[in-house]
Amino acid sequence: MSTDTTEHHLADEAVRRAGAYNRSLIEASLDPLVTIAPDGKITDVNNATEKVTGLSRQQLIGTDFSDYFTDSGKARAGYEQVFREGLVQDYELEIRHRDGHVTPVLYSAAVYRDEAGDVIGVFAAARDISERKRAEEVIRKLNEELDERVGRHTAELEATNKNLEAFTYSVSHDLRGPLRHIDGFSKLLLEEYSADLPEDARHYLSRIRDGTRRMGMMVDDLLNLTRLGRKELSMQLTGLSPLLEEAMRDLQPEMAGREIEWRIGKLPFVECDPALVKQVFTNLLSNALKFTRPRERAVIEVGETTQDGRAVIFVRDNGVGFSMKYVDKLFGVFQRLHRPEDFEGTGIGLATVQRIVHKHGGRVWAEGELNKGAAFYFTLEAVESRPGESNSLPRGAA
Amino acid sequence: MIRQDVEILLVEDNPDDVELTLHALHQERLANRIEVARDGEEALDFLFCRGPYAQRSFEQAPRVVLLDLKLSKVDGMEVLREIKKDPRTRAIPVVILTASQEESDVANGYHLGANGYVQKPVDFDSFRTLVKQLGLYWLVVNEPPPPAAFQAK
Repeated sequence: MSTDTTEHHLADEAVRRAGAYNRSLIEASLDPLVTIAPDGKITDVNNATEKVTGLSRQQLIGTDFSDYFTDSGKARAGYEQVFREGLVQDYELEIRHRDGHVTPVLYSAAVYRDEAGDVIGVFAAARDISERKRAEEVIRKLNEELDERVGRHTAELEATNKNLEAFTYSVSHDLRGPLRHIDGFSKLLLEEYSADLPEDARHYLSRIRDGTRRMGMMVDDLLNLTRLGRKELSMQLTGLSPLLEEAMRDLQPEMAGREIEWRIGKLPFVECDPALVKQVFTNLLSNALKFTRPRERAVIEVGETTQDGRAVIFVRDNGVGFSMKYVDKLFGVFQRLHRPEDFEGTGIGLATVQRIVHKHGGRVWAEGELNKGAAFYFTLEAVESRPGESNSLPRGAA
Repeated sequence: MIRQDVEILLVEDNPDDVELTLHALHQERLANRIEVARDGEEALDFLFCRGPYAQRSFEQAPRVVLLDLKLSKVDGMEVLREIKKDPRTRAIPVVILTASQEESDVANGYHLGANGYVQKPVDFDSFRTLVKQLGLYWLVVNEPPPPAAFQAK
């Protein structure tokens, strides 16, 4: 045996072994692998490809690669892309089995070349993503269900709220009638028979009338509050300073004859319902005026501050204040922290403030100290501060 | 000649409201001839001169109709619609006098051709002032429609 022949034989043997080695690697792969000639015909497949298509090697080799996908046009386009760019990755396709069932796969493919560097085919590997697709589908369905459930609950809650508002409205509305009658007839009795009535009787009648009037005010306030709940916000970019000025003008009668020091700071421009936010100022200022009445010199402060990077509007006074023990009661409907003979009111002003602020997606809270004063803070969700555009009010007593 | 025509038609189903309104009107000596209709049907019979009011004529229209909205049988809005739909009654001034503060009621009322919308206050003094102003305006200040205004064209 010549050395040449021996070497040749050894080389052949090495090639054969390498071939067998490669083949077993290919066959061992769980991913369908396939080689494709430039004309799109399949030149080789592995076991996994036979499995996923339900066809044998013999059946597959020589047929058009794109025939085995649900979207053969997309398969061809991917194949052409490999030729153009040398490589594609994670190209989504669906392989159709002979029995009709479909396997979603991600294709990665690259061209391979001969010794001269010419492209002689495409080597393509598919990754079965059925499991992932199934998981995605499950997640999608769960999300859909969740959305639907949240939507349903929100709708139910809104409907309940609407019903409650409508109920409160019609009840308060219907209560006004009998109240009007009590007030009217007791008034007539007082007017027309006053001379015949003893002092006590007249006193009782006037108590009846006071009670009626109070209840009338409460019913009216309640009506306003529920109307607020049902009203749609009409939002517009609004300077808060002019709103505050308007509110102060409306409250002039309550300032008459009093010494009041106003400390008014710069207020921002805000996207809000101006009529409602003016109501917020009116109620807060009206409270500040009311509860500073025992003070010789009332000090009422209105301004803007920031808390956690958010614009906060505040109204602060040096009035009789309140104990923080009762801070939770402050915003409740008909909740009052003072005796009616000390400070009049129906206990609905702050509930209204809260309703308006919440409707704007904002927050309202209070700080107080008995006999020192009170401070009310609120945010309006869409607060958009535009420094320099807001004019501040002149200071001093009104 | 003293006209014996009804000056005010008060359409009101609540007896307390009727009494208080009449009291206020009489106290102010604004109206002598007031007709009260206790439901919507009665109001329409009166205005359209039918049923128990068949002997009336359309020319004898009241100077003003004070119309409550919550009525039995035919509600106030329906009464208003009927009045403003017919050329023989369209010219009669109708003022809605109601407890309702519903914006939709106000809008509907005007849409149907109401000549005014007044809310009844709880406070009797305010109510009396209001009735007095209404009486003054519609019976004294306002020029009523002439008989020709009540003919079908």
